[in-house]
Amino acid sequence: MEPFVFFGGKGGVGKTTVSCAYAYRCATAGVRTLVVSTDPAHSVSDVFDQSFDDEPRSVEGVDGLDAMEIDPEDEMQRHLDEIRESLSEQVSAGMVSEINRQLEMSHGTPGAYESALFDAFVDVMREESEPYDRVVFDTAPTGSTLRLLGLPEFLGDWIDRLLYKRKQSIDLFEKAAIGDMEPRRLLEGDPVIERLRRRKEFFEYAGETMRTEAAFFLVFNPDQLSVNETARAIEGFTERDLSVRGLVANKLTPTPDDDETGRGARYLRERVATERDRLEQVREGFEPPLVAEIESRTSEVRGDVLTDVADALDVDV
Amino acid sequence: MTLADRIETFRATLTEWLRGLYHGMITHPAYEKIEKEAEDAEDEFMLACFPDAFGIPSPVSYYTAELLPYLEDEFEAWERRLWDRESLIERKGQQYHF
Repeated sequence: MEPFVFFGGKGGVGKTTVSCAYAYRCATAGVRTLVVSTDPAHSVSDVFDQSFDDEPRSVEGVDGLDAMEIDPEDEMQRHLDEIRESLSEQVSAGMVSEINRQLEMSHGTPGAYESALFDAFVDVMREESEPYDRVVFDTAPTGSTLRLLGLPEFLGDWIDRLLYKRKQSIDLFEKAAIGDMEPRRLLEGDPVIERLRRRKEFFEYAGETMRTEAAFFLVFNPDQLSVNETARAIEGFTERDLSVRGLVANKLTPTPDDDETGRGARYLRERVATERDRLEQVREGFEPPLVAEIESRTSEVRGDVLTDVADALDVDV
Repeated sequence: MTLADRIETFRATLTEWLRGLYHGMITHPAYEKIEKEAEDAEDEFMLACFPDAFGIPSPVSYYTAELLPYLEDEFEAWERRLWDRESLIERKGQQYHF
């Protein structure tokens, strides 16, 4: 299995449970594992009954398993502070307030949240993943995950265009300075081009890693909405040249015993029948294989229950 | 002052005048034109980096904000040029000395 494993899916289908269970399974099989949550609601803490932050911390009671939670809001603030710091080093006091306004505006735009999340993802892949054999990502709900995965290519093109424009203007400035005149800008050592290049490398790394070193799994519930969403997600992944490795059906209704005939049992039997149809639909109609069928639990998934769920996953470690 | 000296002085003055004339009529407008063109290219770059300054949200402005500390002069000049600019024709017209 690839070093990076992503679990995605519609909101509320149990991505956190499945990714924690998978991480648990990897860790107990002797693979050093890190589980990363990017959901600001932070439910990994609830699963392991322990609080985590943006530094990997070992999970109590499980050898070889670490967890961390990334908050995009914090990430955004950190990015903002970093720029502010270099701003005060470089820029004269008069300009600071002017540029500061621009800076705050750029962190309030709709894309900022996703960009922060994306940066955090890639940073984990690049820097934090060193001591681990496997990093499991518990991603945000499908829509934004897909947009996130589409970012490298899209942003790479954009940066290319910016680079081209910048070079063009500097080239003209250099040409305008004939003879002894000092050109207004120089191509050599231009910090803007340098930064843009670094960004470009960052996106290239991200795109390459997602394509070659990551495996994607989609979690869904056996209802029509969830199945439809999964179909769209698979399509979205295919469009981006990423393949979905498998599908995980979560929260299946348990079948009642045969001797039970009460109203509850009838209700359950009916549900099981419709769910079986949905699962059939998934098995027949979808390309990625159905790798796990996890029954609904009455209690929160924690401790022993997590072990059960982990056993239900037919995913390679 | 000998005749040779006077010729020398005359030639020096003439050379200076000619150079001045050439600079004023040919090279200076040419530099200016290139420089204006460079500024235009820079304006486009700045606009592509910070369209949110005009209320157009951009998916990359989160990243281009990183460039702000290095774009102090450009940013100021850009804003000034934008305030100055009445129309594209006016700006382009400045490049021709009628």
